[in-house]
Amino acid sequence: MAGKPTTAPATYSPSPTTRSKKKPPIFTDTDWIRPDGRGFQQCRPAFLRTGAVNAASGSAYAEFGNTKVIVSVFGPRESKKAMMYSDIGRLNCNVSYTTFATPVRGQGPDCKEFSSMLHKALEGAIIVDTFPKTTVDVFALVLESGGGDLPVVISCASIALADAGIMMYDLVASVSVSCLGKNLVIDPISEEESYQDGSLMITCLPSRNEVTQLTVSGEWSTPKIHEAMELCLDACSKLGKIMRSCLKEAASASAS
Amino acid sequence: MEKELVTPGEIMGKASSMKAGRGVYVAAHNNTLYASLTGRPSIIPPSPDSLDQRPTVEVTGHKAHGAVPEPGSVVIARVTKVMARMASADIMCVGPKSVREKFTGTIRQQDVRATEIDKVDMHSSFRPGDIVRALVLSLGDARAYYLTTAKNELGVVSAESVAGATMVPVSWTEMQCPLTGQIEQRKVAKVA
Repeated sequence: MAGKPTTAPATYSPSPTTRSKKKPPIFTDTDWIRPDGRGFQQCRPAFLRTGAVNAASGSAYAEFGNTKVIVSVFGPRESKKAMMYSDIGRLNCNVSYTTFATPVRGQGPDCKEFSSMLHKALEGAIIVDTFPKTTVDVFALVLESGGGDLPVVISCASIALADAGIMMYDLVASVSVSCLGKNLVIDPISEEESYQDGSLMITCLPSRNEVTQLTVSGEWSTPKIHEAMELCLDACSKLGKIMRSCLKEAASASAS
Repeated sequence: MEKELVTPGEIMGKASSMKAGRGVYVAAHNNTLYASLTGRPSIIPPSPDSLDQRPTVEVTGHKAHGAVPEPGSVVIARVTKVMARMASADIMCVGPKSVREKFTGTIRQQDVRATEIDKVDMHSSFRPGDIVRALVLSLGDARAYYLTTAKNELGVVSAESVAGATMVPVSWTEMQCPLTGQIEQRKVAKVA
């Protein structure tokens, strides 16, 4: 009827998503305790195997704790998408998550961003003059995301490339470090990543001691960055040794 | 001579004492040879008449990797399209190795044979479905490699007649169907 003051119609608004977790305040005088019982500078045990995918030119499977990744490499092959002639080879990277990779079923985080970051990490290591006009396709599939996904994807991708016989300057090893209050923890798991103040990821060529990619986010002070970089580079060289022994094992197993 | 496996990035030696072969590259900043493939290294002694008396070190990959067409390599291709001035072919083998995924090649009118190249009739040289042996001229353009059949041993190696039988070559330019006796025109390769 007329004359009634119009009340706003009742609306339904969903409660905000639980994506941005509320960080519990980390007091500066207590240390973070790692849920899986590792030391601050202890990385997860690495399991690497090549030859996971028969249809691909090269492939690798990596399991670092709960993070499981499969990478397949196709190439060098002709690319239908290539419109322009190029004297040097091209690299095409794609990172995707399975729907069951994260605790909440659905699209994984940062798919597109990871693809371009993987591209930047690998393009410095491949000798592109050796396959002119053709393309190398790298497809990474994250089967389970247990934290520190991108470093595992990068390391696994470089093993897959070596398995495919693509000429590279060196293997690519990648490690990330999280800053939690005043502690630096290496190789964080997803719980530690959600509470972190900052993260630093280094991708380097271990035997040539060259860095191909450095990604820093969050709050850092300069001495902490130095300390984190030293930690990462040291861990990368150890990871490089593990990667080499995995490749040699696979090669000698197939040769014999 | 080491028979141990090497992986990409492992040091193979100094550039002053060895040359880099396939699978090995020289790092300019410290003149060292590094491996670029996973496999076994082998040292090839230098030929006695070359100026550079350094042995060559190369790495042979442990896996049989798919071949990529290089300029100067002989390939086997299947003709897919024949047009007025060019024919398209899918490259299936490079040398003795087959490719993992096909590459596209083009045979232009002027590359079909060595004589009278402006009077070439593409439809009397190739038909879709023919298997040809060709030589890769160059990387070509973005879409296809440039191939040539302008040599005696290059050209159609195997073709099917209209009746469906594999034809027998009778001359440089003709093949005959064994079932019907019909003669068809092709640019035939002389298989030694």
